[in-house]
Amino acid sequence: MNKSFQKIYFDPYLFFSLFLLSTLGLFFLFSASNSDISLVLKQMVFVFAGFIIMILVSQPDPDIFRRTSGLFLIFSILLLGITYLFGPEINGAQRWVRLGPFSFQSSELLKLAVPIFLANFLFDKKLPIQRNEIIMSLLIIFCCFFLVFRQPDLGTALIIACSGLFVLFLSGLSWAFIGGSFVLLIISSPFIWNILLQPFQRQRITTFFNPESDPFGASWNIIQSKVAIGSGGLLGKGFGEGSQTQLNFLPETETDFIFSVIGEEFGFLGVLLLLSIYLFIILRCFYLALSARDRFCRLVIGGLSLTFAANLIINLCMVVGLLPVVGMPLPFISKGGSSLMSLFLAFGIIVSMGTHKKFLPQ
Amino acid sequence: MIFEERQIEKNNFSSRAIILFCLIILGLAAVLVKVFSLQISGYTDYQLAALKNKNYAVPVQSLRGEIFDRNGRALIKNEPTYDLITRPNLISDIDSFLEEIQPVIYLSETEKLRYIKFQKEKAFVNKELVLKKDLSDEEIARFNVRSFNFQNAFIAKRYRRISDYPDIFSHVLGYTSRTEDDFNAMPEIPRSHWKDVELTYASGLIKGKTGLEEIYDEHLSGRHGQRVYEMNARGQLVQSLSLTKPEKGSDLYTNLDIDAQKSAAKFLGNRKGAVVAIDLDAGGINVLYSSPAYSINKLSNGMSESEFQALINDQDKPFFNRALQGRYPPASTIKPAIGMYGLSNNIVNWDFEMKDPGFFKLPETGRIFRGWRKGGHGKVNMHKAFLVSSNTYFFSLAYQADINELSSHLSTLGFGKKVCLDCFDEDQAFVPTPEWKYSIMNAGWVKGDTVNLGIGQGYLVATPMQLANYASILATKGQFIEPSLVALGNQKKSINTWQDESFDDADWNKMHQALLGVIESDYGTARSIRDLKDFQVAGKSGTAELVSLDSKEAYQEVRVSELLRDHSIIIAFGPMPNPRYAVSVVIENGESGGAVAGPVAIEVLKSLIDE
Repeated sequence: MNKSFQKIYFDPYLFFSLFLLSTLGLFFLFSASNSDISLVLKQMVFVFAGFIIMILVSQPDPDIFRRTSGLFLIFSILLLGITYLFGPEINGAQRWVRLGPFSFQSSELLKLAVPIFLANFLFDKKLPIQRNEIIMSLLIIFCCFFLVFRQPDLGTALIIACSGLFVLFLSGLSWAFIGGSFVLLIISSPFIWNILLQPFQRQRITTFFNPESDPFGASWNIIQSKVAIGSGGLLGKGFGEGSQTQLNFLPETETDFIFSVIGEEFGFLGVLLLLSIYLFIILRCFYLALSARDRFCRLVIGGLSLTFAANLIINLCMVVGLLPVVGMPLPFISKGGSSLMSLFLAFGIIVSMGTHKKFLPQ
Repeated sequence: MIFEERQIEKNNFSSRAIILFCLIILGLAAVLVKVFSLQISGYTDYQLAALKNKNYAVPVQSLRGEIFDRNGRALIKNEPTYDLITRPNLISDIDSFLEEIQPVIYLSETEKLRYIKFQKEKAFVNKELVLKKDLSDEEIARFNVRSFNFQNAFIAKRYRRISDYPDIFSHVLGYTSRTEDDFNAMPEIPRSHWKDVELTYASGLIKGKTGLEEIYDEHLSGRHGQRVYEMNARGQLVQSLSLTKPEKGSDLYTNLDIDAQKSAAKFLGNRKGAVVAIDLDAGGINVLYSSPAYSINKLSNGMSESEFQALINDQDKPFFNRALQGRYPPASTIKPAIGMYGLSNNIVNWDFEMKDPGFFKLPETGRIFRGWRKGGHGKVNMHKAFLVSSNTYFFSLAYQADINELSSHLSTLGFGKKVCLDCFDEDQAFVPTPEWKYSIMNAGWVKGDTVNLGIGQGYLVATPMQLANYASILATKGQFIEPSLVALGNQKKSINTWQDESFDDADWNKMHQALLGVIESDYGTARSIRDLKDFQVAGKSGTAELVSLDSKEAYQEVRVSELLRDHSIIIAFGPMPNPRYAVSVVIENGESGGAVAGPVAIEVLKSLIDE
């Protein structure tokens, strides 16, 4: 018992790769914001606070997350409800809740709460998972998805749905069920298109499939992003030298399109370096998941790290023109405290689950 | 058992995790392939696209070449003027700026209002704006002393196209006019960028509109330069990246002669008419004057609408270039051509004589064609017929001619076609043929039409340019050079030849003798100008009848109305016996040819020869 108190739970691989990533992120942000030093300082404070949160969260035994998972989910949903009722409307969407001097994007918490809750719900069930449990899980996923979707924030809603589905899949969902769901999704797609999607979301998807149809309107962003990345070439134009970025042809450089800035200024080699760091982090998480002490920890680490990967890949695909534009930041690099905090929180939980070993009774 | 179940669960988790991990790798690989295709395969295209986004090229106007006369004296030059230019984006308080500058450089209310109207949009995109045009020397001096107070304003040199002889050379030099863009000269710059052109001329982008300015526009224009700006997404100019300097256009060295043109203008006075003079050695056009004229300086550099309308509506039609476009019956000046036809077709020879009773009676109809002198000239041969300008002789000669042959003979002498190499909008005037008459008037060609043609009346019309060209053929005995205004090195001009087997050197000499006699002998119709000069001149005068009249009484009445009076015409060349210049003069409603047009021709020849 004494030993466990003395030990600090810490994963050096994750710590240093995340440190590298977020430090690089600060440099990228400096260039992307047209050298706005105050913005970078603010982000730096978030990064610093994020590391502290991550270390703190990795200390307690994973059991505490399991036992509080229900409360956590209810708290997150309540926060979302408060946002829905009282949050300010920005660009036609209510996503923010004020906590003292900070604004917090309440949907970020659901990205954590949903996979942890489902992991708790499913970890002691017999394999394969029974129908009732599947229905229960899907219901929870759908409710959370729908709440965020109505904000409206399609990007985050999709990520939340993914995070839940990942856990469901990892915990042993039968292949027959997966196949059936796919068929159902395809059949219901016209319904989703016509009734569920907002007009601006529909427009984003149409312009994705036909970007030249409206070069100065909706597809401006994606065209300029491709031009920025493409004109970077092998070595890039140099730090602060990207004309697409610095002359404001590229939109949303500090948030969704920051990868284009990196592509333009640091070229293909810069992109390779960045993607290798991300790949390393994902690999490390998988190692932790496979070596975790029990099924609950495995499911949580798997769910959270897959969510992180999904978030990353959707952002990348969107910026290079492989997916329609949905609002989604580049993890650890894009401007924004909420996303950064929830990422550090997630990695704190991952480290906690990956480093705590249960003393076997033998 | 529990342990076994855990192992199954763990294996199940691992395999599924590996599937998802593979999907992630697949996703990242897809992104990497896409980035590779953008950055490596598509690099050139996207690099171009990025440059196209940010590079904003504007043309820099080139300076046009200047135009000189044959002695190297400037006909049109570029004169600098000075404009006050500001950078509104750097001026925080426009009103107080205008207030501060007012004591230094006076601004009218319209100038202020114009400035205030445009300053916002120019400021937004970081462009320059002209505050006041055409500063006086005094204003420039005042501003230069205080320029440290006005960091955001500066004086820029702009040019105007100015001629020291704006009126007398108006038709031949022509004028320039403003254009919105010069897209064809620089297709690499988008048309819309021309609105931001960096001007060299105060009046804006200019292009030759008439005269030599138009004909030699390409030669004079030079090459516009270009300045490339870096532009941001809002269309603001961030900085100038590069400048390709414009190339000044080539100068134009013409065959025109300022002194001779001045003489033409002076002696034509305010009468309507035209003078063309040609240098026989090179075919250079030394004089090309049409009266009345207008100021090209005003037209090129901005003329008020009312002034312009007044010119357009002027009854005397100053814009009409009589030298190139005026269609006049050549009258008696055509007689040498008719004589040449008669001689080369053996209808007559120099010894043939006939009686001139003062009229010619058409055998078929009995119609009477009158001479200019009642009672006639007695016995006339061809020499005398030229000297006294016997109509009867040439009526009778033309009567025996075949109209189709005669028409083509006149064409070989330059009638009915353009004769000048580089004249602006030259008219080809007209030589009639039976087919033409039938198609236009639905009437057959009658013998009387040919007879009329014998004295240059009827349907035949010629321009002063054509008459001068004809005079140069006569003067050079057929060895003439195509007339041109400009002596360009690369323009190879060959000697043209008019020749006919039956018209030999002896005939040419007799022709020159006869035409010399027209002016120099006691019987010549143009003897009144004999004493105006100290060299000998050959020529032929004519009086183009505007109204065909059968009685002298009616003619007296017509003389009262000026616009119906006959045109006075002369062609002349000299100094004899080795002529160097040929000239034609037409004076509208001037009446008697030799006495009216003659002195003008002599004065022009004098100023050409005296040099």
